[in-house]
Amino acid sequence: MQAATRSFAVSWLWLVFFLVLHVALWSSVRDIKGRWQNVPPVPSANGAAAIALGDKQFGYRVAGISLQNLGNIGGQVQKFEAYDYGHLKDWFFMANGLDERSNFVPYLASYYFSAVKDPKKTRELIEYLRIAGANPEPGAKKWRWLAQAVYLARFEIKDLDLAYKLSLELAASKDPTLPAWAQQMPAFVLTAKGDKQAAYDLLVEMLRSSADKLPQNEVNAMRSYICTRVLEAEAAKTDPLCEGVKW
Amino acid sequence: MSAVLIRYVLCAAIRDRILIALVTAMLVGVSFAIFMGSSAVVEKGQFAGVFAAGGLRIAGVAGLVLFVVFYVRRSFESKDVEFLLSRPITRTQFLLSYAAAFSLLALITTAVQAACLAMIAPDIFSPGTLLWGASIAVENIIMVNIALFFALMVSSAAPCAMACFGFYILARMMGQILGIVDMGTDAPGAWYLIKIMEVISAVTPRLDLMGQTTWLIYGPDSSATYGFLFSQAAIFSGLVLAAARIDLSRRKF
Repeated sequence: MQAATRSFAVSWLWLVFFLVLHVALWSSVRDIKGRWQNVPPVPSANGAAAIALGDKQFGYRVAGISLQNLGNIGGQVQKFEAYDYGHLKDWFFMANGLDERSNFVPYLASYYFSAVKDPKKTRELIEYLRIAGANPEPGAKKWRWLAQAVYLARFEIKDLDLAYKLSLELAASKDPTLPAWAQQMPAFVLTAKGDKQAAYDLLVEMLRSSADKLPQNEVNAMRSYICTRVLEAEAAKTDPLCEGVKW
Repeated sequence: MSAVLIRYVLCAAIRDRILIALVTAMLVGVSFAIFMGSSAVVEKGQFAGVFAAGGLRIAGVAGLVLFVVFYVRRSFESKDVEFLLSRPITRTQFLLSYAAAFSLLALITTAVQAACLAMIAPDIFSPGTLLWGASIAVENIIMVNIALFFALMVSSAAPCAMACFGFYILARMMGQILGIVDMGTDAPGAWYLIKIMEVISAVTPRLDLMGQTTWLIYGPDSSATYGFLFSQAAIFSGLVLAAARIDLSRRKF
């Protein structure tokens, strides 16, 4: 009986001993946590498909959701200025190699990553959108991504030469769904109006001609972009287009 | 084939609650896919469908392989196989009955997978979804026959399951591997490695051409046809069952 009690007490001692050791070990690694290590180097399209066990579409979707959530690591949110847009562009092209018909990655490039204020980084997006917008997929209206590239070149980085060059490419598109405003894009680019007004006119025209044919999320993103990025806060408050847009 | 033996195996599947376990795992997987899809800024439906289809595919194969492997090994350990073979049934009948029962279970699992996908993909009868379902049925049948083969060959369940999963990954990666082989390399000894890989690929089913989630979004492409799928199922299952039959005839009970 006494031996059993002693064995029980020794077991408790061992338990406390290992618990203390474990807490000591834990405290030595307490400050090691998930850290932002910037946009990782891109795998090849084959490598990304291999990660998804040979299913390219699955690989595309995994890469897409990863791109969307980049920079949100362990509760820390990073500024776009901290992103390596060169690597980001490589990811876009890799995703394009897995599925060039989806609009998810062009959407991210156009409406999400374009919020960056560094012209060098915006140029990386334009380079990608130019290729994504040149895809002649019938009925897919891919030209809208080229139109976004024109917009970014003209109004975000204010490179008129580049914007004009891209607008000529857009106007030359053989896509039968190309609207009149896109064919007249070179004239829009060269417009003598003030930047803000011209940008507003262009985006509203894009929205007006395509709103009924695009997914609602994309229409919402365009409205939000116009109301929060193009218009001044005062002007947005009085613009009927901005009714119901969350700030 | 023995109808009694097929029913016996299917009763064991019901008794082991494999179908309930599979349905539960698949429902959890689909729920997770819907959650992941909802977090996408656009193309939410496509994300949910692709994640669900990819997850259902792996869950189905994992459940079937584990059931087949552990059931067959348990049958050996409890002397069930010896008892059955002492009855008026040949080894070929025994093997084919087991293969038929497991294949039937694979088809039932495919029906469950298709039903789970139908919950989030409303156009379940589109050509792409039908091709996906047919290819998943073929993949499941191939994998249960592979699992049966390994379970008859290898005497422990865990290594046997690991061998099946290794084979599955190899078969799913075969398209990528052949791409690397065709690109060539200057590495020393690469010629031999390439030839070895080509021989391995010749006796490995092309599971990479099956269950493509891109079919669910854009419809079927030219990478797989019903003719290829059914030929692959029939020829590879025949090959692996023939190998299992040879091993079974050499075994002493």
